[in-house]
Formats: sequence, structure tokens, C-alpha cells
Amino acid sequence: MFFHWLEKNPFFFAAGISIVISFAGLLEIVPNFAEAARPVVDLKPRTVLQLAGKNVYKKDNCISCHSQMIRPFKSETDRYGAYSLSGEYVYDRPFLWGSKRTGPDLHRVGNYRTTDWHENHMWDPPAIVPGSIMPAYKHQFTNLADIETAYAEAVTVKNAFNTPYGPEFKGTRAAWEAHKPKVLEEAKRIADDMKNKDIKEAVARGEVPEVVALIAYLNSLK
Amino acid sequence: MDIRDLQGYGSFFMTIFLVVMLYGYIIHLYRSEKKGERDYEKYGRIALDDEVTSTPVEDKPASKRENEKEKK
Amino acid sequence: MQANAALEYDYSLAKKFTFLTILFGFLGMLVGTIIAAQMAFPELNYLLGEYGTFSRLRPIHTNTVVFGFTVSAIFATWFYVGQRVLKVSMAESRFLMVVGNIQFWLYFVGALLATVSLLFGISSSKEYAQYEWPFDIVVVLVWVLWGFNIMGLIGIRREKALYISVWYYLACFLGIAMLYLFNNMAIPTYFATEGLGSIVHSVSMYSGTNDALVQWWYGHNAVAFGFTVPIVGMIYYFLPKESGQAIYSYKLSLLSFWGLMFVYLWAGSHHLLWSTVPDWMQTMGSAFSIVLILPSWGSAINMLLTMKGEWNQVTENPLIKFMVLASTFYMLSTIEGPIQAIKSVNAIAHFTDWIPGHVHDGVLGWVVFMVMASIFHMAPRMFKREIYSRKLMEMQFWLQTTAVVLYFTSMWIAGITQGMMWRAVDEYGNLMYSFIDTVTVLHPYYAIRALSGVMYLTGFIMFAYNIYKTMTAGRELSEEPQFRTPMA
Repeated sequence: MFFHWLEKNPFFFAAGISIVISFAGLLEIVPNFAEAARPVVDLKPRTVLQLAGKNVYKKDNCISCHSQMIRPFKSETDRYGAYSLSGEYVYDRPFLWGSKRTGPDLHRVGNYRTTDWHENHMWDPPAIVPGSIMPAYKHQFTNLADIETAYAEAVTVKNAFNTPYGPEFKGTRAAWEAHKPKVLEEAKRIADDMKNKDIKEAVARGEVPEVVALIAYLNSLK
Repeated sequence: MDIRDLQGYGSFFMTIFLVVMLYGYIIHLYRSEKKGERDYEKYGRIALDDEVTSTPVEDKPASKRENEKEKK
Repeated sequence: MQANAALEYDYSLAKKFTFLTILFGFLGMLVGTIIAAQMAFPELNYLLGEYGTFSRLRPIHTNTVVFGFTVSAIFATWFYVGQRVLKVSMAESRFLMVVGNIQFWLYFVGALLATVSLLFGISSSKEYAQYEWPFDIVVVLVWVLWGFNIMGLIGIRREKALYISVWYYLACFLGIAMLYLFNNMAIPTYFATEGLGSIVHSVSMYSGTNDALVQWWYGHNAVAFGFTVPIVGMIYYFLPKESGQAIYSYKLSLLSFWGLMFVYLWAGSHHLLWSTVPDWMQTMGSAFSIVLILPSWGSAINMLLTMKGEWNQVTENPLIKFMVLASTFYMLSTIEGPIQAIKSVNAIAHFTDWIPGHVHDGVLGWVVFMVMASIFHMAPRMFKREIYSRKLMEMQFWLQTTAVVLYFTSMWIAGITQGMMWRAVDEYGNLMYSFIDTVTVLHPYYAIRALSGVMYLTGFIMFAYNIYKTMTAGRELSEEPQFRTPMA
């Protein structure tokens, strides 16, 4: 009898468990891969500075309190803007939808917040939003963003997943050195809109404080 | 037939298959106990009488012989 | 292998993992209490500079209780229960002892380093899978070693029939192995280029909606195979053993097992309701979440029926009280979860504090209570001493039960309040509240939650103290107790 046999053979028993538990994943997830990976029209991958900012977002784990997923309800579209589409996320590795809104959604924060607002807010949230329970992130004004890692990430996703970065993105140190001025230039544009002297000086020296990269990333969320 | 249809048929038949298996298993459990082939409730004793020296509910070598008999 | 008079169960590995359970349990709950307090009193964010903000500490809390506390407890109880229900001693195989010890040290060192890495912000930002790739490899190695031990012990067993607890441990091993491996697939950027940037940084193999699906297929089922399956395995051994009553219906336990295996995996997409994943998957997630009540309650009711005619034990033996309360909380959270998975309820509940409320009545009420009960049961057998204080145990029970009730009631109210305020509109259809209004209104509930955290942590410290005193000052036992755990 089949069931007798299954109960008595630990190996086939384990194989049985594996089949039963893996089939949901196989049928649910795998077939949609190609479809969910189609970008919306005109979607551009993030620049190296924005990627570095995304890594600051990951490092300080903003996802604990902020979502990036606007649900299709009037109350949400009124508050945050158009509801989110699958094709907007196709270059997000990892996805950063979050699961908790201790603070507001950020998926379109670039539409209604500016560089100087973020600068003041990251320095002292309750001063900008009275009653806010968000901690201040003053260390982001002194810590430096890791733009080299962000560049390596761009090259990796270009090679592995055909993310449309230009032909100049190559995994060599020389290519990185050639690209670096572009990153600094973008950082300078952000820093020009900020008032903090130390930030301006750091960027002029060729360094990118974390907060500059983070703001570049937040501004790109539209 | 595109991937969506395959997915639909796949999940439908797999669900039917596993439901049939589960019900088959229920019937198997109760029928083999009714016929006196197996006593499932005795396995509950494994937790209660679990000294290293106590007699196993089902001895390993003995059941191996049983297995071989079944094969014939 | 011949049984001889000198042969005894070898509890050395169970003891080692028990120490880790208590250590990581304390750390995880301490951090949890701190971050709960930070939400009520934000000034507490600045105790440790950059390293003390809520956002840095939260993954440490979740990962320490999941991969520190719960996984240690799974290992500790496996190295106890596994031997006993298979009727074979670890001492009979030198090989398995060596593998087990390597597993212990690799796990201990790996878990500590991984925790430190999160403190420094080295994180993949995938919830409950934040460890970066070097630590993922350590996790996989530890898991493979544990697999060796399970299979090895099953291979040399005397008891031919595999007891239901072994089924659950085996499913825990296979399930976590599959989920962890697939969800953490990532490419290290350092090696994909000519050594540019940070060596620990990696980029996920999945993107956007696909990543979300894989992540919540993992996230949901890590709860299944970490917080449900092995804990059910524990209660199937410890409750019958402690009470001296065989499981009410062994057949029901087998059916619930297969039901759980089949249904649980489908329910993951209920974490993504109203998002950009295909509609049919969302509906599937909702529907299977409701079906999931059946196998979950099957196990829980089986446990309660095991006590049929023996309810006097609940008043006489505090350990039975712990376990009965644990299965009651299991029933509560397995009915609450499906309710939250209904799409219209989820529209309010998602993103609010009701979700952490749900998680915590499951973990504080069910997982931690069951783990503590297991350790209380194992301690006199492992250390050959009586439990140090029954009175302390009773006090701890009531303190922690009150704490759990305070936790989930305050979070239910907070979650529903916030969910309703987000969608409230005035007579012209404009939003009534700005976001910050919905934050400040939660202050009293956050304060109550912080208080409940302090109470629960105090209870856990009482538990740790009781175990420590049992080890060092409990009355010595001349022989191993059979059923009821002796206590002073």
C-alpha cells in the first residue's frame, strides 16, 4: 500500500514534504517573472548617486517605518499621488515596498518635497513636523556615501540583468575613475540647493556625504 | 495556450490531486485501523515511554523484515 | 548496536543550545523593549548615536528573536526530543557529536557577527532576511550540519516509527532550507566587477514585484516553518510527556500536518493585498489563509483535547498552564491572521500597528511560552536537579500573560484607529487628517506597549534566573522524573 510505504521511508517522506511545500511557489511565482519585469514607458534606471542613496536608505533601514507602495484607494491617491504600478519597480533590487507606515509613504515623495526640505528634516524632524517621532539622522551629514559600491552595483545589474546602463559602465577601475566626475557633478547640484556649509565643502573636496546621496534618491522617487 | 492557461490548469489539477491525496490518506488511516492492520494511536506512546532502554513501539529490524515480506 | 546498562541520553548539545536560547532571547527582547519605548518617547533614539536609532535596532530585534532565540530553541529541543523519540543516544555516534559541536560553534559565532553587522547597517533590507551574503552562507552551513544530524539520528534509530514531532522538525528543516536559499539569491557586486566597492555588498537576483513575491513567499513561510511547525513539534512531545496523557488523536495530528504543509505556502501573497501583484494571486492568498484555520486549529484542539479529563493538572502544574495558554494563543493568532487576510479588512489593517500586534500575540503568547515551557521541562532532566522555584514560575506566568494582553489590545486599538483616520474624509470628500495627526494620536498606545515590553522582559529575566538557580542550587534528583516536572 502506497501510504504504508511512504510512512516507513524517511527519504521518500522528506521528498513528499518537499513536493507539497514547493508546488505553491512554483505555480504562483515563477510563471509571472517575465511579465512583472516589463518596465513602464520611459523608465530609466537610477544614476550611481541615486543608487548610493538607495544604499543609505537600506543602511539606515528607512523601510522599518516608510512604505513605497501607494494602494489604489482614493484616500491614498489623495494623500500620496497616483497609485503604484508594477512596471515602475522593475529596476528596484531589492524592492522597498515596506510593510509598516509609522511614517508616510515615500513612493512619490520626489513630487512634493524638495532638497532643502529633506535637509532640514533629516537634521531635526520634529522642528519641521511638530509631533514627529522620527529620529534625527545627523550622522548622515558626516558619514560618506559609498559611491564606488553603487557604481559596482550598476555594472553588476547591467551585466547580469541587462539593466539599460550606457556602454561606458564597465567593471574596471579605470571605467570607474572615468565615471566618478559625473557622480560628483550630480552631487554638487544637490549640494547647491543645501545650506549646510560642511556639506558644500565636502562635495567641493570630491566627497559625497550620505545625506546628499539620500536626497538624490528621494528626489528620484516620483 | 499561453503560460497563464498552463498556470491555471496546473494549479487547478494540482489542487484537485492534493485534495484527493489528503482524503485518500484520511480513508487509508481509518480503514487500515478498522481492518486491524495498523493501530495509529499506539504511536502516541512513543512520547510517553521514551527511555533509551525501553522497548520500541515498532522495532527497526523487525519491521525491515516486514517490509521485505510486503515486497514479495 | 547493542543497548547496555550504561547507555544514557547525551544532553550536552541540548544544554549548550539552551544557554543560547536564553542569551538571544534576553538580547532580542531587550532590544524589542527599547524600540517599543522609542516609539513612545523618541528622545531614546539618541542613546548610542548612529547605532541607537529605531531603524537600525529594529532588524536586530527581529533577527535576534528569529535566528537567535527561536532557532536556538529549535536546535535545543531537537537535541533533546530527537534522541528520546527515536530511542537512540547521541553518545552512540561520535560522528554526530562532532557535527553537532561544529554546528553549535559555527552558529554561535555566526549569529553574533551577523548581529554586529546589522548594527553597522550592513543589510540587504529584505525584511527578516537582512543578513548580507557572507552571513547567509554561514546560515546555510549551519542548516546543512543540522540536516546531517537529523538524518544521521534517524539513520541509527531504534524506534522504527517516526513520532509526529520528528515529522515537524523534518519539515522545519526542509522548509527553511528551501525558502532561505531562494529568497536570498544575490550577486556580490565586488566579485561581479574588478573588485570595486564593498566586499559584503550584493544585489538581489529578483527585482520589483518579483522580488516582493519571492520575499513574502519567504517572509510568510519563515513564520510557518520557524514559528509554527517546530513549535507544534515541541508541544506534541512536551505536553503529552509532562501530563502523562498520549495525544488525543494521533490520526488528527497526521492529517493536520499534511494540511498545514499544503495550505500554508499558498497564503504568502496575503502580505501583498492591494499591491501590484496579480489579482488572482491576492485572492488565492486570501482564500488559502481562511482554509489555513483548519489545520492550525486541528493541532491546537488536539492539544486541548489531550488534556480531556485532566484539567485539574492546569491548576496543579504551572508547566501545563504555560502549554495550555500557548495553544490558546496559537488559536487566537491563527484566527486573527485569516481575518486580517480578508481584502476589505486588510485595506484598513495593512501598514498599521495591528500587524505587529498580531505577530506579537503569536510569538509572545505562543512561541516564547512554549519554548520556556520546554526548557522548564528539560532542565531537571538535563541538570538532574529540581526546578528551583515554583512560586517564581507562577509569578512569571501571570506577569507575562498580562503583558501579552496589554500588548495586543493596545496595538489592536492603535492599528484600527490609524487605519480609520488615514481614510477619514469630511463632508466634501477631503481627507480629514494630516499624516502627523495619525501619529500623535497613538502616543498612549505606544506607551502602554512599551510598558508591556518591560513587563514581558522582566518575566523573561525571572525565567532565566529560575533556570540558573535550578542548575546551581536546585535539589538534586536521584533519578530522572518520568512525567511531571519536579519543582520546589
